[in-house]
Amino acid sequence: MTIDTDAHCAPASIKTLLPYLDAYWREYVLGANLGLSPSVGGAYPPGAPTSGEAGVPNTVDELRAKLLDGSDLRYAILNCVTPFDVSRNLYFEAALTRAINEWLRTEWLEHDERLRAGMVVPTLDPEAAVAEIERLGTDRRFTQVLLPVRGLDVRYGHKRYHPVLEAAAAHGLVVCLHAWGRVASAPTFTGATHSYLEDYLSNAQIVQGQVTSLIAEGVFDKLPDLRICLAECGFAWAPSLLWRFDKEWKAVWREVPWVKAKPSEYFYRHFRATTQPAQLPKDAKELAEAVELIRAPELLMHASDYPHNHGDGAQRLLAALDGAAADAVRYTNAAAFYDLAS
Amino acid sequence: MRIVVARAEDFAPGDRRIVEVDRRSIGVFRVGDRFYAINNHCPHQGGPLCLGRTAPWALSSGPGEFQVSEEHALLACPWHGWEYDLATGQSFLGPGEAPVRSYQVSVEPGEALTDDPDLRMAGRAPGPYVAETFPVRVEDEYVVVDTQPVGRDRRTER
Repeated sequence: MTIDTDAHCAPASIKTLLPYLDAYWREYVLGANLGLSPSVGGAYPPGAPTSGEAGVPNTVDELRAKLLDGSDLRYAILNCVTPFDVSRNLYFEAALTRAINEWLRTEWLEHDERLRAGMVVPTLDPEAAVAEIERLGTDRRFTQVLLPVRGLDVRYGHKRYHPVLEAAAAHGLVVCLHAWGRVASAPTFTGATHSYLEDYLSNAQIVQGQVTSLIAEGVFDKLPDLRICLAECGFAWAPSLLWRFDKEWKAVWREVPWVKAKPSEYFYRHFRATTQPAQLPKDAKELAEAVELIRAPELLMHASDYPHNHGDGAQRLLAALDGAAADAVRYTNAAAFYDLAS
Repeated sequence: MRIVVARAEDFAPGDRRIVEVDRRSIGVFRVGDRFYAINNHCPHQGGPLCLGRTAPWALSSGPGEFQVSEEHALLACPWHGWEYDLATGQSFLGPGEAPVRSYQVSVEPGEALTDDPDLRMAGRAPGPYVAETFPVRVEDEYVVVDTQPVGRDRRTER
């Protein structure tokens, strides 16, 4: 049995969402002729090799035919990244995320008991995000709160976001930082990128900043039950980041005296990462060393990232793991992390 | 060997003097009314420990919450920031980190509570290094350091 911790779906167009918007926002959408970008802020240009040829499923029947049926999937967690970069109107963003969550509930979760979903929440207004988590938090089919790893001008460890993280933890929801997001935020410390290649690579750079922020800014002592999923952001960077983070913390701990243990301890206690994309060496011996350094059997959860295509790294990873480790990555890590019963 | 460092009245609280004795360099510190002497050699990688900053213990109950102790009881090596207890030479890792296994911390019976490292260290665990410390006395208004090293947990007050 397998759990897929990152499969994608998207509304075919904004018309799909009109029944889930109230009259004011329907008029707003229709009056301005607003649309949803198929490339989602440059993340998946329809012709790019990384986007996959199948296209993002728009209906549950399509997902069943292409991914679920005939597979050994016990669960698949749907991540709809459609609202990541649609609008900078905070009230519209709140209405849009609410509409997407209702669409997920009505047109997906109601129709296949294998499906779970990340709830999308506003990023511009943390109070509205908390309200949406409170509204949906008791529906156990939502397993996580989905946030773009490329967020706004402050990182998620900042106290501005603590109420959002707190609400998720209070409902037992994982917080999932998923690749891509706000194109207006510089994706690297040296500013904007100039190519799709740089943008694609930047998710693994941005996520290290988010991990650093969440640990250094003391989130996990305040919220000891909080769990963070890093989706589609890679994981091969973990050993180098954590080696340096542990080392520097020993000298610079005084600035963050609430950090009570080595950063790497927080990381392996509170974070899990999805297996797509997997940037790993091809040589079998080097691959085995990388798996050990990354502590892959503890950290990773299988994901198809359907329909996106990141090459064969994740398959090679699973092939390099022994039976128990492969089972952990395919199923048990996610079952425990998301509290999913078989 | 006993070395006269300075007249006590010339040695103000917060001051330090580095004295060269044989081929050894020893830093003498005055914190409040207490004198401390510690080897000017960081056991980590040999940095000039006594050129570092002194610092108080820092405590936190959560993000944005800061408390510090009144006295500067710690000395940080300028090279890599390893911090040492001025009184005992004991290094400390970050909060909550387990000590390196080969090093044992013992608390001697009858020791005053203020010298108990479990109480003094503010949630931080003893590190693997111990810098050499030396007794300092004030004799006839002169500050005198004795180069016979002492173990941890000993301190001479004025």
